Amino acid sequence: MLNHKNGKTKQEKATNEFNQIVVGNSLSKDAWRRLRKNKMAVISVILVSIYILLAVTAPILPIYPYDEIVIDHQDLPPSLTKTAGELMRDKELAKMYAQAWRQGRLVVDEATNEMLEDWVSRSKVNKVWDYLLPEGNRQLESGTFTWNASEQRSIDSREKRIANEIQISIEKMWLKDEQGKLSDVKHLETDEIVALYAKLLGVQANLLVDQYTYEIEMQLLKKIKAESTGLTDDEYNMMLRDQLDSMSTKNYDALVKENIYEKIASTIKDMAMEQLGTEASQAETTYPLNEKVAVTEYLTASVKATKMHDRRYYLGTDSLGRDMLSRIIYGGQVSIAIGFIGTLTSVLIGVVLGSLAGYLGGKIDYFIMRVVDIMYGLPYMLLVIIAMAIFGRNILNLFFALAIISWLTISRMVRGQIMSLKNQEFVEAARSMGASTPRIIFKHLVPNSLSVIIVFSTLRIPSFIMTESFLSFLGLGVQAPYASWGSLVGESVGGMTLYPWRLFFPAIVMTVFLFAMNFLGDGLRDAFDPQSKNQL
Amino acid sequence: MNKKTPKSYENMLEVKNLKTYFLTDAGIVKAVDGISFSLRQGETLGIVGESGCGKSVTNLSIMRLIPSPPGKIVDGQIIFEGTDILALPENELRNIRGNKISMVFQDPMTSLNPFLRISTQMIETIRIHQDISKKEALAKSIEMLKLVGIPAAEERIFNYPHQFSGGMRQRVMIAMALSCEAKILIADEPTTALDVTIQAQILELIQKLSKKLNTSVILITHDLGVVAGMCENVCVMYAGKIVEKAKTDDLYKQPAHPYTFGLIQSVPRLDKAKDGKLFSIEGQPPNVIDLPPCCPFHPRCHKVMDICRNQYPPTVDLGNSHEVSCWLYAEHKELADA
Amino acid sequence: MTKYIIRRLLGIIPTLLIIITLSFFIVRVAPGGPFDTEKKLPEVVMRNIEAKYHLDEPLVVQYGRYMFDVLRGDLGPSFRYKDHDVNFYIFQSLPNSMILGVIAISISIIFGISSGMLAAVKQNTWVDYLSMALAVVGISVPLFVIAPVLQYVFAMQLGWLPTSGWFTNGDGWQTILLPAVTLAFADFATIARLTRSSMLDTLRSDYIRTAKAKGMRSSSIIFKHAMKGSMLPIVSYLGPAFAGIITGSVVVEQVFRIPGLGKFFVQSSFNRDYTLIVGVVIVYSVILVIMNFIVDVVYSLLDPRITYK
Repeated sequence: MLNHKNGKTKQEKATNEFNQIVVGNSLSKDAWRRLRKNKMAVISVILVSIYILLAVTAPILPIYPYDEIVIDHQDLPPSLTKTAGELMRDKELAKMYAQAWRQGRLVVDEATNEMLEDWVSRSKVNKVWDYLLPEGNRQLESGTFTWNASEQRSIDSREKRIANEIQISIEKMWLKDEQGKLSDVKHLETDEIVALYAKLLGVQANLLVDQYTYEIEMQLLKKIKAESTGLTDDEYNMMLRDQLDSMSTKNYDALVKENIYEKIASTIKDMAMEQLGTEASQAETTYPLNEKVAVTEYLTASVKATKMHDRRYYLGTDSLGRDMLSRIIYGGQVSIAIGFIGTLTSVLIGVVLGSLAGYLGGKIDYFIMRVVDIMYGLPYMLLVIIAMAIFGRNILNLFFALAIISWLTISRMVRGQIMSLKNQEFVEAARSMGASTPRIIFKHLVPNSLSVIIVFSTLRIPSFIMTESFLSFLGLGVQAPYASWGSLVGESVGGMTLYPWRLFFPAIVMTVFLFAMNFLGDGLRDAFDPQSKNQL
Repeated sequence: MNKKTPKSYENMLEVKNLKTYFLTDAGIVKAVDGISFSLRQGETLGIVGESGCGKSVTNLSIMRLIPSPPGKIVDGQIIFEGTDILALPENELRNIRGNKISMVFQDPMTSLNPFLRISTQMIETIRIHQDISKKEALAKSIEMLKLVGIPAAEERIFNYPHQFSGGMRQRVMIAMALSCEAKILIADEPTTALDVTIQAQILELIQKLSKKLNTSVILITHDLGVVAGMCENVCVMYAGKIVEKAKTDDLYKQPAHPYTFGLIQSVPRLDKAKDGKLFSIEGQPPNVIDLPPCCPFHPRCHKVMDICRNQYPPTVDLGNSHEVSCWLYAEHKELADA
Repeated sequence: MTKYIIRRLLGIIPTLLIIITLSFFIVRVAPGGPFDTEKKLPEVVMRNIEAKYHLDEPLVVQYGRYMFDVLRGDLGPSFRYKDHDVNFYIFQSLPNSMILGVIAISISIIFGISSGMLAAVKQNTWVDYLSMALAVVGISVPLFVIAPVLQYVFAMQLGWLPTSGWFTNGDGWQTILLPAVTLAFADFATIARLTRSSMLDTLRSDYIRTAKAKGMRSSSIIFKHAMKGSMLPIVSYLGPAFAGIITGSVVVEQVFRIPGLGKFFVQSSFNRDYTLIVGVVIVYSVILVIMNFIVDVVYSLLDPRITYK
């Protein structure tokens, strides 16, 4: 009896084993489950998310502006602990010790001398610097070496600058009216702001008009020149007239307002600098300073002041003293954006053309595929280089040049998918129910080849970024002050021996991203199509 | 030679308790789970079953051609001429493959190397096992091709596989398999991929050649009609196990296992077609991953009993070497014992 | 077979014509001329120059003239360099690029195929993991990162190899090593991965099972049966590989200061030296198209199933 009971429970289990209903498992769900099993792919997803997050939030991150040039801070090495001032001091001192050693004033023993000479001959100057800095400091302390007068002067003046130089930025300005009420200068009307500036300078407002008109024109002209290089001056002027004519009064007013606002800000900055400059030497103020200052009786400004040389460059600086960390993040923004948007564009073109060719067949198919074949035979990279060289080196042109050539493979793939799908029953069914051709293509066929498209797109992004960076590396892509990973690597190649960090940091950051994207793409492919495991 | 027991001399090949499992992500697939059978010299043995029941895996196991990983022969013995194939080192195994035991595969389209000429592939087969010159091997190959009925063999031998039709390729495969005078020919669904008219020719050819060369044949098929025409003995496989083993005539006259009964009934027969309805076995063969201890056929069986659901039935000998694994007969036996 | 080759050869012609036409028109419709310099040239001088280079003629006439010249093998005068014409500069630098390219592609094919095969045969062993890790690096790390990094490590830090230079300038044969290895890296990676996956695919195929059932040794199975079939994807990859080598050589020649075509190409695209740019592109395209043709022929020889329609 007991046995029988047991048998009964078992029996139910066994029946379940055989009668189990296969749970509906969509392809994407299944793929997602497989993707999560793949450790590399999961790590890659996390990494890519971090990169995208950094790129998107770059403007609000506490980093220095990517295009801010600080000449004093050229070529500073990366450091987590030292401030820019200390690094600057070390760098300059090392150079001075090296000079003194060359002049024979800084004496080292014979063996060291030979070693240093050897380094110099193999152009390992930074090794010489690294050696001579502590050596010089030691000798200076023990009194076997002294600076001469002019050297001492320059050291003193630099020390003073390191200690005192401050950097001021005007965050906000308010106009105080007779009742003492504050109103934000930014929200003033154009004529009010012009009047304010005139008052500040103590001149008639109408005298300013000529000046700002000229300045705005110059500003626009500069922008036009940067966008399309290699025109004659006449052509540039024509383009400028066109642009001014087509501009609405509102837009023009906004330009004027912006122009004047900047001027007021810079005037106030000078005034504040004068005030603070005297204070800084008294060493009472603590920096960074962030306070509201009544600059004149009718203007109040929120002033942010930091000690110039207290900055920290965790990844060093480039040859113009720009923060590498910030440049790498902003460069990533450009590279990633081009990678994603470019891939999206090329996939859209490719999917539309490929599915049309695949579904419609016949002449359209023949025509599209011939175009693809011929374009495949072209050395397209070289054509892109020509196009960039000729039509101007800016991000938009770069983007178009890349998108135009990169839809070929995807269109072929989608065509193949559609061709194999279009004769299947579900398409017949849709057709027999009177679905229109676009509906069949985009509601039935394309979604069914989506997994192929997704996998391809993911693997396409890194190659897009590589192509962009390749052009930027050659100097034909993104132009200064903008950066991309490629241009950062490209700029650093020249000074590689002396400043290797300028090569390594962008290279590492870029490589990690490309790795992650490739692993993610591979993971997605394996997840969507487990059969293809181990395939390229 | 003298080590051989009389039994192993009688039986060319003896498979004992063979278990071949596949270790997959989803679990252990017991593709072949403890089967035993034997093959006499000159005998033609049929192995029948639905697709996925483990018949191909059985025969790949005999040749040790199971792709590993994921496949693994976990237990059992395969005794050929007194030696256990499963225990042989690689080089001795190679001496058996293609020489003593050879195989003809299901799909002649993909089983020949598309990049090499037929001549290359045949000569190579012969020269692996026989120390003869290329010229002699070529002559022998042509002879074999003639034997399997390839017209203009002297010229066609220099063609590539894609220049042959499916039936012709299967003939080439058979010629290649028999070119070293193998003792056992394993034909793994040799006609499944072919047209019906060609099927009969190929089967006839196998039958004729095996008689002529005194070769034992293991014929794997899902087609009972084929078995009836060719084999002396039949094994019926279901879910990795042999459920019934008998002489062909016995099996057809008195199918003991409900599955065999179903299989025979579901073959359309001209003489019984009057009522117009064909017998069919309901449901699907089970997934062989993590099978509970039970008769795997029970959900589809029309004679299912309670015990079928909890325990695998023992093998019962019904006499005249007719064996069956089914509770229907086990109970009889128990009763008889009592 | 001969018919097939002739047909393929004829198919090359439209591609080449399109390349020439495309690069000609891209260059001509571009804003700004080659003689736009910082200071404006007097009108008369400008006229003279334009007349000299036939820039004052209608575009169609210029195109016809150019096409005719190119077909005769004359790529015209350089707009920037007055001493010689385009042919001179191209044929001076082409051999250097060719040597570099040939060495690089040989390295990538030899090492790619052998490490791919090794990885496939020793699947899931450290050999497999190592060569695939190397391949992933080759695929993920862009050439312009590999080039300076290798230069930094092997030339500047370790001092094993010269940083730059070229053997024809008397800098020693070692100068060729770093650039060639760098250039070969990406294609090595792709070829290794392709070989591995196609080898694994082939090893899983029915005809390999047949070969095993015949009692062949695994080594002869790999070399006699699996090799031919699994080389097909690699052969068809060679077309894109050549294109990659050409593009890559632009960077490598730049970084290692090799007096090759690629360096000229970048220079002339900065200089807007129209005839030189178009000339270089035509030369590159001819090489590429011929390479693709050879690859096609080799493929059809390898695969007996291809019929020559």
